[in-house]
Amino acid sequence: MNACIEVNQVSKKFGSKQVLEDISFTVETGEVFGLLGHNGAGKSTAIDCMLGLKKMENGEVKLLGENPVKTRKSLFEQIGVQLQASSFQTNIKVYEICEEIAALYKETTDYNELLTEFKLIDLKRQAVEKLSGGEKQKLAVVLALIPKPKVLFLDELTTGLDVVARRQVWQTLKALKKNKMTILLTSHYMDEVEELCDRICILKGGKIVVMGRIDEIIKMSPYESLEEAYLWHLGEEVTK
Amino acid sequence: MALRRGGNKMKRFFTILKIEGKLTLRGVESILFGVCMPVGIMILICLIAGNKPAYEGADYTFLQGSFGSLITVGICATSFMGLPITLADYRDKKILKHFFVTPISPLMLLLIQVVLSILLSMVSSIAIVLVAVFAFGYYMQGSIVFFCMAYLLVMISMLSLGMVIASICRSVKLANVVSSVVYFPMLFLSGATIPYEIFPKPLQNVSNVLPLTQGIKLLKGFSLGMPVNGLMTSIVIMFAVAVIGVTISVVTFRWE
Repeated sequence: MNACIEVNQVSKKFGSKQVLEDISFTVETGEVFGLLGHNGAGKSTAIDCMLGLKKMENGEVKLLGENPVKTRKSLFEQIGVQLQASSFQTNIKVYEICEEIAALYKETTDYNELLTEFKLIDLKRQAVEKLSGGEKQKLAVVLALIPKPKVLFLDELTTGLDVVARRQVWQTLKALKKNKMTILLTSHYMDEVEELCDRICILKGGKIVVMGRIDEIIKMSPYESLEEAYLWHLGEEVTK
Repeated sequence: MALRRGGNKMKRFFTILKIEGKLTLRGVESILFGVCMPVGIMILICLIAGNKPAYEGADYTFLQGSFGSLITVGICATSFMGLPITLADYRDKKILKHFFVTPISPLMLLLIQVVLSILLSMVSSIAIVLVAVFAFGYYMQGSIVFFCMAYLLVMISMLSLGMVIASICRSVKLANVVSSVVYFPMLFLSGATIPYEIFPKPLQNVSNVLPLTQGIKLLKGFSLGMPVNGLMTSIVIMFAVAVIGVTISVVTFRWE
């Protein structure tokens, strides 16, 4: 196994507020890694630091063995990203956003194949605004896959989706997982995390509370479900 | 190899330009305010007073006097409405931020939006020229070459002000408000639609502060064949506005 994402003692402040403190973890190739925590725990900031979007005070990040700031141009040919709460140009159609994203990379997958695989091909000529929440998120995954990435970053991909749409997105991610795609995701849904992730890391106030395989995390707590163990690790009251 | 890569880059640029251009056209406002309205205003003015002398004893017609100002109406629409609102919207939607996690610089997207604004302004101006020449028998007394150079200068300087709005306004809502606050006074008080000469003196003083007023003086001067010496102040002001605008927007621009 070799490391695909290496985060080494990363610290980040906004003004005087410490948002990340001494964060270190490694994601191996082919692994699905979940970054969990309440809103404001530092998940999105951690992703921004990993992608080189924000400068950090301390620490070092390597993606596929390279520094994301220094080798941005070549590195991001191989990385697919879905940013939290991002959206699309007004009036743009599905095939147009695919074409625009494809134009950014040297080597791409045919987006028609991806649209077919994700059952979006019939909506190709529709305005993106008219898609349902689930369809939009599936489109976000399609766009992240266009550059044939080796790593995927998905920030709260399923937040706001209904149960059916959420499960549709899971199916697509599971298929990717089968094909040994490395994925780093954040989520608020423990059922989703159990379904998809190999290992998780729980953040609280910018610090790592606990990290490990899901069964390990549950075993460390007096509870039997991940949701209860999650709350217990965060020091919250577990109510039945 | 270097050539091929350059070719690829151009191809990417044109693919994105094509798609973003389609989006611009699909948003009806740009055509309405950028092309239809300027042409409409010109037709209206021509029907009212087009071929009369600009004022009693003038040796040029009202249309000849107003041509240089009417041609800026389209520049106003793209610079103060189209460009800043689109960019603020793209920032809100994290489209600019997303370009940072691709191999292409988000600067390319900014450049594409500026190019689209220029193209739209030019389409608007060409429409005005065609209508003026073929429907109302307009001809330019001054040098067409000088006029075109002045036109480019005014356009660049107004676009740089549009970039300042895009940089300073942190949200689409604010960009909308600021755009309107800038656009409408520029449109009505700089002489773009209502001739500066018929303003009362106090209003002319207000008008003189607006950067577009200087741009219009310049265009009007060149279209009427006035000597360059008399227009030096306006030329210097236009250059200054362009340099200051570009500097402020480069320093203050936020990607997210």
